[in-house]
Amino acid sequence: MKVVTGVVGNDIHVVANRLIELSLNARGYEVFNLGVNTYLEEFFDAAVETGADVLMISSLNGEAEGWSREVKLLKAKYKHLDDIIMMIGGNLVVGTGNAEDIVPRYKNYGFDIVCHQVDLNTGLDMLETLIKDREIEARNK
Amino acid sequence: MTSPLNNVEHSDSEKNSATKASKEKLLIDVGSTYFKLSTANNLEQHFRDFNKDILADLMHKCGDTIDSFGKEDVHICSSANGGLTTLIIGITNTFSLKYATNIAFNSGINIIDTVLYQNIEDYSLPSDLIDVVIIVGGINSNGNVFSDSLYNYLAQLRYSNIVFVGNELDAPAIQENIANVEILPNIIDDRLHIVEQHLREYLTNLYQKDIEGKEDIKHLYDITSNQIFPTPYVVNKTLPLIDAKFSVVNPFILLDIGGATTDIHYSKDLVDDNLVTENEYDRLVFKKLGVYKSKQSLIFAAKSNEFVYELLMHLKVTENIFEEQTQKATKILMQLAIFLVLCKISHYKKAYINLKLLSINSIVLTGGITKVLTGDEIEDIISFFYKKILNSEHNPVTVLDSNYDIWTLGEQGKELCQ
Ligand code: B12
Repeated sequence: MKVVTGVVGNDIHVVANRLIELSLNARGYEVFNLGVNTYLEEFFDAAVETGADVLMISSLNGEAEGWSREVKLLKAKYKHLDDIIMMIGGNLVVGTGNAEDIVPRYKNYGFDIVCHQVDLNTGLDMLETLIKDREIEARNK
Repeated sequence: MTSPLNNVEHSDSEKNSATKASKEKLLIDVGSTYFKLSTANNLEQHFRDFNKDILADLMHKCGDTIDSFGKEDVHICSSANGGLTTLIIGITNTFSLKYATNIAFNSGINIIDTVLYQNIEDYSLPSDLIDVVIIVGGINSNGNVFSDSLYNYLAQLRYSNIVFVGNELDAPAIQENIANVEILPNIIDDRLHIVEQHLREYLTNLYQKDIEGKEDIKHLYDITSNQIFPTPYVVNKTLPLIDAKFSVVNPFILLDIGGATTDIHYSKDLVDDNLVTENEYDRLVFKKLGVYKSKQSLIFAAKSNEFVYELLMHLKVTENIFEEQTQKATKILMQLAIFLVLCKISHYKKAYINLKLLSINSIVLTGGITKVLTGDEIEDIISFFYKKILNSEHNPVTVLDSNYDIWTLGEQGKELCQ
């Protein structure tokens, strides 16, 4: 499984990004880490060049929502990204917020998995569950 | 200005050459509007006469100088053949198209069109013959990127050369479906970084063959036994040596504003980008911002920039200046070219790359512009740009290369750099 990851926008918080790469590698994923300061188009373009299965965006500094609003519009311009798993995590709002409001809002923006202030391992477990569910779904089709 | 570097270079070459005659070199640059000749202690330049073949024109104007040098001591570079036309078909803007475009620019190619592969069916076909088509996309483990829509498009396209520099998995199918395609190693590695070497070599060779094939240029081999290089390639080679000649404070950008195009050369430190190459310096060409040959498109670009009216007001002229054929009008166009090119590499109007303009310490200007504008006139525009577009009082030092030392340095340094 190929995962493209990075920190969106002008965000330079790099610590989680490094941990994400290490953890994904440890779990056997092939990781393409675009690092901090990555624009949305670069994420999608990297997914196209690598043939990635998962796009894992991280955001810590409060920019997440602004970018997330652009996701559907931009993704619609790509012809071969319909099946990619879209995931976002970190601090998804400015200040504090509660996950019950945040998660559905971000799903509406086009994400399959939303991890607001969720610990990384829990987030990666959620990813594994989704991948398994999709495999079962595909087999049943 | 005397040129101390010439002397340094001479003592260097003295070591290498046995005969006295080969110590001195004649350097010739054939441009789109004029040519320059440089010897150790003299620099001549002449407007070209387009009714004459280049060699005839050169011999007419500077035959004596040329005759006094042996063929092995004459070094020529040229931007006069217009360069190769390239069409790049890639699968994303950020990686395949950007990487291939970058390599093409750095190989001296000026005219580049791109096609985003997923939308290939929506592009109209260029009617002109294309010198080289470049196909690129996917890291090596990502196959099945290209299919029939590519072959259908190519079947209708007229081109002389075609090269594939995309993922390995698609290479066999490409080879089978496209006649005479050259397959080279992928320019995108497994970490999404750029690999320049092979495509660069291939394009530089094509460029050489093109120069040799152009009747006009071919005749120049009557007066030199050395390879004729593309001018921008030579300038690019100079950049690492530039502080030997000028008091340039790093980091700097170099603007080459001439008749047909505006070139900008910049050091990699100034780019905040995913593009990590081995080159220390990169080049970017704005083919539509020349002051003579592409004057109309320069004016068009100016009129569509919302700050230009303010700039014209600042320069105390009106839009009517565009209709004039005066020296004053040429000056204004040159000033506009500086402003527009800076806009294009700033966040304000991102062309292809944006440079950290607030970190620049020097701006070096070369080309025809140095004969038209004074240092003050240039500084005026640069500080207007920084104030208006970047809201900053930052004021990089401007350095004028009025004697074409950069080009001389490049021509001389060429062999050293190879
Ligand atoms: C260190 C730090 C900095 C350093 C960053 C150094 C660097 N290069 O990384 C510096 C000082 C430069 C910095 C700057 C800023 N920071 Co700061 N910074 C922090 C700090 C203290 C720790 C971040 C950290 O590294 N944590 C350790 C890592 C491992 O944890 P983490 O980032 O939280 O990630 C975990 C989870 O969130 C999760 N995770 C992260 N991404 C993802 C993605 C997925 C998919 C999943 C599943 C999970 C996941 O996994 C990680 C491990 O569990 C936090 C506060 C805090 N205690 O969290 C503020 C904090 C992130 N910063 C903040 C802010 C506002 C800024 C600035 C804007 C401050 C300013 N006004 O200048 C700038 C922004 C600069 C920029 N352009 O981005 C705010 C963000 C507020 C918000 N979102 O509402 C925070 C939360 C502080 C605060 N409480 O106000 N910061």
